[in-house]
Amino acid sequence: MFKKILIANRGEIAVRIIKACQELGIKTIAIYSDVDKKSPHVLLSDESVCIGDPTPIESYLNIPKIINIAKEKNAEAIHPGYGFLAENPDFAETCNKAGIKFIGPSPKVISLMGDKIAAKKTMEKAKIPVIPGYHGEKQDNESLFKEGKKIGFPLLVKAAAGGGGKGMRIVHYEDSLIESIEGSKRESKSSFGDDTVFLEKYLDKPRHIEFQILADEKGNVIHLFERECSIQRRHQKIIEESPSPVMNKKLREEMGKSAVKAAKAVGYTNAGTVEFMVDKDLNYYFMEMNTRLQVEHPVTEMTTGVDLVKWQLLIANGDELTLKQNQLIQRGHAIECRIYAEDAENGFLPSVGMLKKVEEPSGPNIRVDTGIVSNIQISPYYDPMLSKLIVLAETREDSINKMIWALSNYAILGITSNIPFLKKVFEHEEFKKGNITTHFIDNHFKDWTITKKGLPVDAIIALAVYDSMHSKKEEIVRYKEADPHSPWKHVGRWRVSGEM
Amino acid sequence: METCGKMESKWGDVTMFVNYEHKNNVYGVTIEKRKNNYFVTYDNTEYKISAEEIKPGHLKINIGNRLLKAIVTEGEKEKFVFIDGNVYKVKPVELTGRKKKSKKDSDESDLDSPISGKIVNIKVKKDDVVKKGDVLIVIEAMKMEYLIRSPYDGKVRKINFKENDQVEIGQTTVEISKK
Repeated sequence: MFKKILIANRGEIAVRIIKACQELGIKTIAIYSDVDKKSPHVLLSDESVCIGDPTPIESYLNIPKIINIAKEKNAEAIHPGYGFLAENPDFAETCNKAGIKFIGPSPKVISLMGDKIAAKKTMEKAKIPVIPGYHGEKQDNESLFKEGKKIGFPLLVKAAAGGGGKGMRIVHYEDSLIESIEGSKRESKSSFGDDTVFLEKYLDKPRHIEFQILADEKGNVIHLFERECSIQRRHQKIIEESPSPVMNKKLREEMGKSAVKAAKAVGYTNAGTVEFMVDKDLNYYFMEMNTRLQVEHPVTEMTTGVDLVKWQLLIANGDELTLKQNQLIQRGHAIECRIYAEDAENGFLPSVGMLKKVEEPSGPNIRVDTGIVSNIQISPYYDPMLSKLIVLAETREDSINKMIWALSNYAILGITSNIPFLKKVFEHEEFKKGNITTHFIDNHFKDWTITKKGLPVDAIIALAVYDSMHSKKEEIVRYKEADPHSPWKHVGRWRVSGEM
Repeated sequence: METCGKMESKWGDVTMFVNYEHKNNVYGVTIEKRKNNYFVTYDNTEYKISAEEIKPGHLKINIGNRLLKAIVTEGEKEKFVFIDGNVYKVKPVELTGRKKKSKKDSDESDLDSPISGKIVNIKVKKDDVVKKGDVLIVIEAMKMEYLIRSPYDGKVRKINFKENDQVEIGQTTVEISKK
């Protein structure tokens, strides 16, 4: 086994990986930017090295700096976590060339799966269902119209160079297809300087369901069942669960087989995720493959009892996968939600500043993967995710109740978190019924704000008691002497018993 | 020199009036400490309370037969109260006679970038008439998009960036003349 590895990440995932390494007797090197000096991953790691300026490109994305540190400190492998360099084939390649094992699949696989069109074509060849569509070179209106009719309606016109919904049009009828193609091309040209468009079948009430896979370097591949990640906001997952409320035994077997086939088709190694879209009639289509550990991996760990990070390390070390498909059991129901430093009431703006106090919920089957502690500064440089709260219970209903309890006992003070928002989602009737699609947040929580009732009397009482307990003599004197002409004079007086 | 105990007895039984500001609303409260009880008066109702701080900031409060658990933490100017999953950010109103700052001015800070990132979309041009809540600018940082919305009805006076510019936290993105 490796003696020492470097973790090229920060926050909760760096902490998660360091803990797994320490359990296996592997020494760790953490890297951190100037603003992360007091972060938990730095304090936890056996060694840590500052990589300077907080701008990601100067720190967590700086390949030469990271490789140099790894070499200097004799790291045998690098775990990239998720985000940052996790799906950067150049980074994987650079590691390998430097004689440092990259903990993940080969650079070739990362780059193939990173090209969404090439990935789809590969999967189509391997007989895995993909969303019907046209990704061809003929871009004249007539050809696109013909291809569009073949796919059927509703369909989606997408900018090839696009992202974030730009240049995207949903077309319900043949009559408006040409108009939409032209509109999409215009928008695409002005946004990306490229007016190539794709056509794709538009799925009604789509769900996002993905399968976790593990593949060793000897050709063994298993799947660890599904995760439903339909609850998203702006294409960012916020709540994930396993099993999916819509899953049945037959569909699970079929999709699991497809996921394993997808991994085998590209010679995948290490941990990965095959993402599918599932429509209302439970047809499933390959969407993409994530060539890394996922943020939501804990729900799989909770329901299967398998430590995915440990297996990533073992597989990278060349060990054989001893887990067998038919021995794996999915037990209970796990839910994860992502705790973000953002103000849900205020357009989900990120909330930065001093995190004064954190109190985590604890109890049976409650797991908090966290990257924060009290009295640290939340900086604007990185993703606003602070931690993940994961619960496991026997049924989905129990799991939702446990999550609501846990959220109610998770105190994050000083900056604004999305906890009140998450609680409302879990309390929503449609969520409880399992009626979730990728449009759930848009449909039910558009322009959401918390109750307008204002400050509850309990908060007023708690504050008053706290202030009464903590008022100092000098303050009382100061208030007594407050300016008598003050507009606040009616509130600016303190009366001390026996002295008035 | 006074000992703590002495201070307690001298200053122990006190009545104080405090105003708390939360989201532009002001809540006036009277609290009186008599022996082991607190008497909180708010909105013409008096609550008889017994309370203890079980560890710093953690309060266990008995209001009649009801038990209330709360965590209170002090920030620089404000206090944070945690009750049952909700956090309330409250500012005790200054009692020294200084005038309250007009809330309107602080609305303008909504036009400042909340994050360091890249301007990916500018939805308005100079002299455009905008309504409160209209999206003016889209900023992208770490895979996420943030929207700068107009804090009030008005007209676009100046746009300080072009698309693809880098913006730092706190920089004013757009200037809007109030209608």
